Amino acid sequence: MDYQQLLSKIKDKINILQAREDLGILNINIEKKQIREVIKFLKDELKFNHLNFLTAIDLIDNNQIEVVYRLYSYETKEKIVVRVKLERQKPEIETISDIFRTAEWHERETYEMFGVKFLNHPDLRKLLLPDEIEMPLRKDFFHPDFEKLPEI
Amino acid sequence: MELIKDILYNTDKILKDFYNWAYKLWSSFNLPFFILDIVFYLLITLAVAAFLVFNALFIIYYDRKVAAKFQVRYGPNRVGYKGILQTVADTIKLLIKEDINADKVDKIVFFLAPFLVFIPSFLVFLVIPFGKGLIPADLNIGILYVLAITGLSVLGILSAGWASNNKYSLIGGMRSAAQIISYEIPMVLVILSVLLLSGSLKMGDIINAQSSISKWFIFVQPIGFILFLIAGNAEINRAPFDLPEAESELVSGFITEYSAMKFAFFFLAEYTNLFLTSAIATTLFLGGWQGPFLPPFVWFIIKTYLVITLLMWFRWTFPRIRVDHLMEFSWKYLTPIAFVNLIATAILVKFI
Amino acid sequence: MNKFPIEIEKGLTTDEYILNMGPQHPSTHGVLRVVLKMDGEVVKDAIPDVGYIHTGLEKMFENRKYEQIIPYTDRTDYLSAVNNNLAYCLAVEKLLGIEVPERAKIMRVILCELNRIMSHLLWYSAYGLDMGALTPIIYAFREREEVIDLVESMTGGRLTHNALRIGGFKYDLPKDFIYKLKNFISHFNDRIDEYEALLINNVIFVNRTKDIGVLKKEIAISYGVTGPSLRGSDISYDLRKIEPYSGYEKFEFDVCTGKNGDTLDRCKVRMNEMRQSIRILEQAIDHLKDGDIMAKVPKVIKPAPGEIYCAVEGPRGETGVYIVSDGSEKPYRIKLRSPSFSNLSVLKEIVVGYKIADLVAIMGSLDLVIPEIDR
Repeated sequence: MDYQQLLSKIKDKINILQAREDLGILNINIEKKQIREVIKFLKDELKFNHLNFLTAIDLIDNNQIEVVYRLYSYETKEKIVVRVKLERQKPEIETISDIFRTAEWHERETYEMFGVKFLNHPDLRKLLLPDEIEMPLRKDFFHPDFEKLPEI
Repeated sequence: MELIKDILYNTDKILKDFYNWAYKLWSSFNLPFFILDIVFYLLITLAVAAFLVFNALFIIYYDRKVAAKFQVRYGPNRVGYKGILQTVADTIKLLIKEDINADKVDKIVFFLAPFLVFIPSFLVFLVIPFGKGLIPADLNIGILYVLAITGLSVLGILSAGWASNNKYSLIGGMRSAAQIISYEIPMVLVILSVLLLSGSLKMGDIINAQSSISKWFIFVQPIGFILFLIAGNAEINRAPFDLPEAESELVSGFITEYSAMKFAFFFLAEYTNLFLTSAIATTLFLGGWQGPFLPPFVWFIIKTYLVITLLMWFRWTFPRIRVDHLMEFSWKYLTPIAFVNLIATAILVKFI
Repeated sequence: MNKFPIEIEKGLTTDEYILNMGPQHPSTHGVLRVVLKMDGEVVKDAIPDVGYIHTGLEKMFENRKYEQIIPYTDRTDYLSAVNNNLAYCLAVEKLLGIEVPERAKIMRVILCELNRIMSHLLWYSAYGLDMGALTPIIYAFREREEVIDLVESMTGGRLTHNALRIGGFKYDLPKDFIYKLKNFISHFNDRIDEYEALLINNVIFVNRTKDIGVLKKEIAISYGVTGPSLRGSDISYDLRKIEPYSGYEKFEFDVCTGKNGDTLDRCKVRMNEMRQSIRILEQAIDHLKDGDIMAKVPKVIKPAPGEIYCAVEGPRGETGVYIVSDGSEKPYRIKLRSPSFSNLSVLKEIVVGYKIADLVAIMGSLDLVIPEIDR
């Protein structure tokens, strides 16, 4: 099943803002309020039962933060990437940690690294970082201890 | 040469002669005799203490060497000839280390616990028959005394776990108490069946009842011997029954908070207990100090070390048992088997 | 302590209490802390607390050039460095559209499988210690030393090899490598039997691991568990088979699976995987032909803007690297998908109700590497 077929299956169910193929894998951009619906649909109907990872990308030039969900299906061996763009000032999105339990920790990590707030998350604490460091993976993160690397 | 042979074979006679000589000397001074007795018992205590410490030092070295053999490596081989002074060096290190007292410990109990563990194992030496007549006191309740005194050491372990004010230590102490109490029962039952055969609680009589090799109780009571080894191994908290100090679970169990001298006492008690269990197994099942060609004392040591080696073999081979399996093992298997063994022995003694 | 969402019920008879396992604890294998709610010896709740050795690798990557990143990937799962290297190198090679020469591919397979054996041997020895058996570690390290020597003769490193380059290898195999490898393969299968006799088939061990910490299929999938821990739950998922990379499609091997998903199954899967690794190594020797070991790689690595996710089957599971490139010399964002991260998060699902000794056994069977979780 190539990405066109997959796309046609999804098309009528969900409102896709933008779809593209990236190295043979379907990437779909969706609206943020649809995220739970989409993930549930992908999991239940299309058997995407493995969440490889969930992360965010700081698109500082567009003033956006993009949350990336990558799904895989043990049954059909298909892959799909779901992307949601959030505004950078107040990134908020519904949690999917009850659909994919592994998302709980991934969301916590994304929360502390990018400040993306996952609504209704059962336990949204910092996972890896000490308390005083906020959102280090954002491109404008600055810490007084930073030293610039010498250019080679 | 003759003199050495004489000393080795007739130690008891020489000691008796010496005592009689001192007795006569004493009576010529017209002094009260109880002072002489006290002096003699002090001397015996000193001798036993010296034996205990050097023996423990050697067992630790021996344990490490045996472990090394099981684990295809060399073991200690730098300090002294083949590393024989390694434990001495380690002991000195332990003794001169800082004695750390954690802030929240119960000071008095914390201080007393190592001694509470060590003193019972020292006291048991009172009835260990090292050789013919070489027994500090051949009490008429000998083996009962052993059981009573060894039962005390659980008090020390429990108070060490409690006083440390550390959750891991407390779990270790509780495990130890449960373990020692439940393994006491099959052990007592096994000893009872031995006593049925010997007809006496006295250590000397038990050994005399095994006068020839065919009469050794290990052949009459093979199941009893195995049960005794298992229960004895569990009593002294050694692997695979080392749950009270289970390193991977409880860090170090009840000895987590101990350091330096106090830790050394726990260590000393552990290896002394190992020796004692083997010594009692030797006395009860392997004919004690009896044997041809060699002096009694040497036979006793050889047999004891054989049993020790067996226990070490267990230790370095098996993984640790889980705490509920341990209890199950004692109550569901060992105790019933020991009961059956006891009844069978009783029937045997009565009708044959 | 209030930081952790644990509620303590005060009862009339027994009190529940909190037990801090770690960060310094012999069986957390590194600086992992697990906050346990205990009732006597029974675990009521377990909350892992990670991040003690967080080094900010993902941030560091954003300030490094592509070729400078390889040594850092060694440091995540330091027990199988090459698998991490490979995930990263494959990703960059795909971004650049480089085809790696055949010989380099097979050499990578050899290194990966040697790393897998190294990692599983270390797991075996550490697991022995967890279970209170003190001897297996020495036996396993005897063979591990041989493997490390082999890898050292090839890469110069013993643990973090920094072995791979984007496009292939810097140096070819040493002359006597194949001879030594054959020598190792010839006796290693017997040694695995020895390990199984010593620990895995021991009655006490089986009693302690059978039906303990059962990881159900659905839970394993939902938590994103991968690797031997997932295969123990009877899911035949191995990236080497499903999406063969680096020439794995040429090799014949079985995907080892367990039946019940209990701790014993996970152990057995790992032991069998070592046997399969030996099979792969045997075939790799036959496949190894003379040829180039380095593809033509541009002097300055500047991938076109785009993104790639590349995963390999590490000893612990799906070791993935997600690269977002903005067309410059430095990656815009790199996300490391580490298997232990997901494997640890499942812990609380499978330990509740078991004893603290089981917790140690279960945690050991997940084969966690902490730097990989913290990154």
